Amino acid sequence: MMCDACGCQVPDAERDTRTVDVHESLLAANLEQARENRRHFEKMGAVAINLISGPGSGKTTLLEQTIRHLRKKIKIAVIEGDIETERDAARIKAQGAPAVQITTGGACHLDARLVHKGLHQLQHENETAKFDIIFIENVGNLVCPATFDLGEHERIVLISVPEGSDKPAKYPKAFTSSQCFLITKTDLLPYFDFSMDEAKEEALKLNQGLKIMELSATAGDGFDAWLSYLQHLTKK
Amino acid sequence: MHEFSLAQGLFSQLLQLAETHRAQKIITVRVEIGKLSGIVVDSFSFGFEILAMENKLTKNAILEITEIEPVKTCIDCGGIVPFNEQLSGRCPECGSMKFTLTGGDDLILTQVEME
Repeated sequence: MMCDACGCQVPDAERDTRTVDVHESLLAANLEQARENRRHFEKMGAVAINLISGPGSGKTTLLEQTIRHLRKKIKIAVIEGDIETERDAARIKAQGAPAVQITTGGACHLDARLVHKGLHQLQHENETAKFDIIFIENVGNLVCPATFDLGEHERIVLISVPEGSDKPAKYPKAFTSSQCFLITKTDLLPYFDFSMDEAKEEALKLNQGLKIMELSATAGDGFDAWLSYLQHLTKK
Repeated sequence: MHEFSLAQGLFSQLLQLAETHRAQKIITVRVEIGKLSGIVVDSFSFGFEILAMENKLTKNAILEITEIEPVKTCIDCGGIVPFNEQLSGRCPECGSMKFTLTGGDDLILTQVEME
């Protein structure tokens, strides 16, 4: 054993080695904040939904259409997560729903602390408003967001038809940690080699309890089932 | 990509532990990484190496990683099947394809050896 300062030999007897048992989760800080967020959502009387998908699978379009359809029945707000730009929040606001944008400035996922900040900003900007559903649109990424609990009640993973039906098998964590799987852009099925059976089978293999829906937000197919699912979540 | 920030979280905890136990040096750090945690072991180790070099206290610290498999329980027969993607699908006991997965999704600092 050598001394760090001068390199001289330190007799073993002078060494005082200790082994400390820790057993603490390094994800604990996020989990604790997530639990706090969940309480916060519940106090507001809102159901929180975390949307996870790769970039361009249609999360924002889904939200635009959902707000348009449910405007009179359910009060929706959106916390938007992106690496850069306020574009998504602007699209949601254009539909008349409150939205706040969190720009992560490079981070590949939202964490519970960022969502907590977004939630306060949302309340600050809409002081008297009541919300039934608060959507959290995660950063477009099918990998990292799956590891971080944001305090949501329901996690929904989206795969669009152009992405391919092999995605559940390739990105298992997004599917094992979600309660619902949405297959989007089904109006494009005639133009892509997408096997509905493969996508569903692989997803169910990973998570037997997964609720699966297929829809096209622009053409409207399957949208009624999606809307009644949301209404069921809010018990309205 | 978030492995580095997780490694940073580990180091702030290590520095705290060293202070609490008045240690001059951290020798070994043992962590458990669940196979479903989404954490890439190599990237986490790489982050650890970079951060360890930055501090005299951790300069020669060794990281020991144990990978933890989730427990796969068959819904139909209740049998416990080791998680293995090669066997994706069927319960070797009853042939069922219905499983629940528990555990294997965390990153845990289990033990630190210091002097």
